Amino acid sequence: MSSITPKKYRRNLMELKRDYQLWVMIIPAIVVVIIFNYIPMYGIQLAFRDYDFSRGLAGGAWRGLHYFSQFINNYQFWDLMRNTVIISITTIVLGFPAPIILALILNQVKWFRTKKLLQTIVYMPHFISIVVMVGLLNVLLSPNTGILGQLISKLGDTDINLLASTNSFVPVFVISDIWQHAGWNSIIYLAALSTVSPSLYDAAKIDGANKWKMILHIDIPALVPTIIILFILSMGNVLGTGFEKVFLMQNSLNLPVSEVISTYVYKIGILSNQFSYSSAIGLFNTVINFFFLVTMNWISKRNSEISLW
Amino acid sequence: MRKSLSKVMKPVLALSLFGTILAGCGGGSNDGASSSNSGSSTNSTTGTVKLKGIMLKHPLTQELSKMEWLTKVEEQVGVDIEWQEISADWDQKKGALLAGGDIPDILIGPNVITDADFAQFTGLFQDLTELISTGGPNVQQMFTEKPETKLIATQLDGKIYGLPKYQRFWPDTVSRQYINKQWLDNLGLKEPTNWDELYNVLLAFKEKDANGDGDINDEIPMDFAPVGTTGFGYFQPQILLGSLGITLTDSSGQGYFTEGGQIKNYFVDDRYKQFVEFMNKCWQAGLINPEAFTQDYSKFQSVARGSGDKAKVGFSWGWEVTDRFGNTLAPQYESIAPLKVSADSNIKMSYDYDGYSLNFGGNMVVMSAKSKNKEAAMKFINELYNPTVSMQVLFGSLGTNIKDNGDGSYAVLPPADSQMDPGTWKWTSTWADNGPTFISDSLKLTLGTDMQSVGKQTEPLQAVLSAIDKDKDILPSMFIKYNPEDNNAMVLVNTNMINLAMSKFSQWVTKGGIDKEWDSYVSNIKQMGLDNNLSTMQKYYDDYKSKK
Repeated sequence: MSSITPKKYRRNLMELKRDYQLWVMIIPAIVVVIIFNYIPMYGIQLAFRDYDFSRGLAGGAWRGLHYFSQFINNYQFWDLMRNTVIISITTIVLGFPAPIILALILNQVKWFRTKKLLQTIVYMPHFISIVVMVGLLNVLLSPNTGILGQLISKLGDTDINLLASTNSFVPVFVISDIWQHAGWNSIIYLAALSTVSPSLYDAAKIDGANKWKMILHIDIPALVPTIIILFILSMGNVLGTGFEKVFLMQNSLNLPVSEVISTYVYKIGILSNQFSYSSAIGLFNTVINFFFLVTMNWISKRNSEISLW
Repeated sequence: MRKSLSKVMKPVLALSLFGTILAGCGGGSNDGASSSNSGSSTNSTTGTVKLKGIMLKHPLTQELSKMEWLTKVEEQVGVDIEWQEISADWDQKKGALLAGGDIPDILIGPNVITDADFAQFTGLFQDLTELISTGGPNVQQMFTEKPETKLIATQLDGKIYGLPKYQRFWPDTVSRQYINKQWLDNLGLKEPTNWDELYNVLLAFKEKDANGDGDINDEIPMDFAPVGTTGFGYFQPQILLGSLGITLTDSSGQGYFTEGGQIKNYFVDDRYKQFVEFMNKCWQAGLINPEAFTQDYSKFQSVARGSGDKAKVGFSWGWEVTDRFGNTLAPQYESIAPLKVSADSNIKMSYDYDGYSLNFGGNMVVMSAKSKNKEAAMKFINELYNPTVSMQVLFGSLGTNIKDNGDGSYAVLPPADSQMDPGTWKWTSTWADNGPTFISDSLKLTLGTDMQSVGKQTEPLQAVLSAIDKDKDILPSMFIKYNPEDNNAMVLVNTNMINLAMSKFSQWVTKGGIDKEWDSYVSNIKQMGLDNNLSTMQKYYDDYKSKK
């Protein structure tokens, strides 16, 4: 960062004056972020202190990195890390391309009405709450009474219970996630595709390109900036497997692969009042996510000129 | 974004921050006329004192304002309580409430504030020792009649923050074992008395048409409550460990039990291995509900209710037969005695002993240290422990739920709505088991049909339960208070141990392999620090015994 010269300062002021309506519009968002994201950071110090109610949030004894080392030396540390990373990476690797492919396919549908109908159908599941979603999974996959459960055991000639196996937990988790969110996430790509000038398609047709070539040379390049930005953002969640879904799908049979950092924090922090310890785990988690995000941004900036900052 | 933690901590932090801001502004000017944390004002004309209270009630329970006995008690002691009624998510609400420091005058509910909370939130709750000696004759009476209650109430530092309950009539165990008598008769079989016979009976249930509907595949020979990830619970198969001489206490969810005055943990006990092998043998033969590990509790209950008068489940555990199998099927089932391991076994049998936790409860009512009207609040609390009031706290108001026979004896009335079962009726009408009660042993009260049948169904188990050495073979967790450091250290070990133990249990039952993995599993658990926990608990246990 260079220091702000008077000239720069004047220019910033000019811009502020010129775009003041935009700034007014964004004020509520800034206020929300300050209240809910910046002010609570005051509580981060809890990760380095003992929690002492009678002395307030910042009054406990300073313990430095004690709680961090307690977590890293924990018997389950590597299992937790492994499960968290596997679930997140699988979700990103399979879940990230899905909406892009869906958007490219929907973009090929010529009839306006059908396209709208399809779009509506694929984004509807996004609005099912997680609790209901897991309830649906339990009903559908139940080996005794579920449609899918019955079908799979008939086809595969096994009596596998998809809800209760260490091998099927991650696939079930990820596939249901894609089914639920791909439609919703494809909207942004469809919006990007709608800005492509029709003249490009016409020119390609004259050059003798078929549908596939058009997708390859027109649609995909048009999506690249959006894809990169969203990918960098998703890196910020690399250790952020959602608590709710994992927690609800957990049972004693899939526990070896389904115990992730967030469910462990719940068990240790919320159920047994270990506030400092769970703050430390949460902070540890955040630092790693932050590191991934910054790294991805740096790589992308060097290679493609597209980046968050 | 920090996920789960921030979600919970944000309100906590925001609240506590807000609290500090408020405190900053207020600057401790507590001489004002009104104060925010206990809106107390005395109505000069009638002399009633206004108090605020929180009550943790069952989701079924009606509004407190409709409880006749409560209105009467409030009038009698001259208080008017503004109740906040909570029936869900108390654990999450509690953290924010306590960290904010703004609590009502009285909080009521089962273990509404835990011993760990007292240790952590020092100075927030009122030490009641003084108040009991000046204004709590009924509480004193309870302490004299049932010294256990005083033990439960007294913290390590000798202070009393939460008051206990004693409800006298409850059985010695939560789980009774039920088998379908009609199926046994259909197949010409006898009631099983040991594991081998149980296995053969279940196998017959599986392979023959036990319920006689022409379909040989619709019977579930054995079912148990869903085994969770945080330990065993009631109505789950670890009850069978009793056959091997292990006395569980309150279902010993985390494996700890006492044997001859020694604290042990069955997760590393060879007898547990034998039990898991038996469960695996049953699973291999298809005798256990394939959904036993994945179904939720409501499904576990509904499956057992079958369809119409056709039963589905052969053998299972439950609190009471109608609660477990529904009114239609209940007559088909009977409660059976504890099982031996084998016909020639001479191990002294045991069972899951819950007599203390069913009849006693801790921290049923606590008072805020900031309350402006401690005497009035104590007066109200003391009245709840008056045996004739306690009886109404537990079963409902006189007249509608309890009949006064006029000769100093009482009887619990059947539900006004004949479609309703007595248990539901009780929970609908009043605080029931969630309230602070002292049902004195001298009170003459005839129970309702539900409690009478629980008593009857416990009879087959009673001989074994009565033979348990309550002095040396029971883990008196209710009466033991750990200091925060010891408790925190133990929690960390237990969380890790239970994670491994529960996932291994379900794996070994469904896939086998316990023989190969047992030794490394035991050494893993030892590595986590189980022995430290055992010696900590032993220390506290010995201390408790020496004071008893």
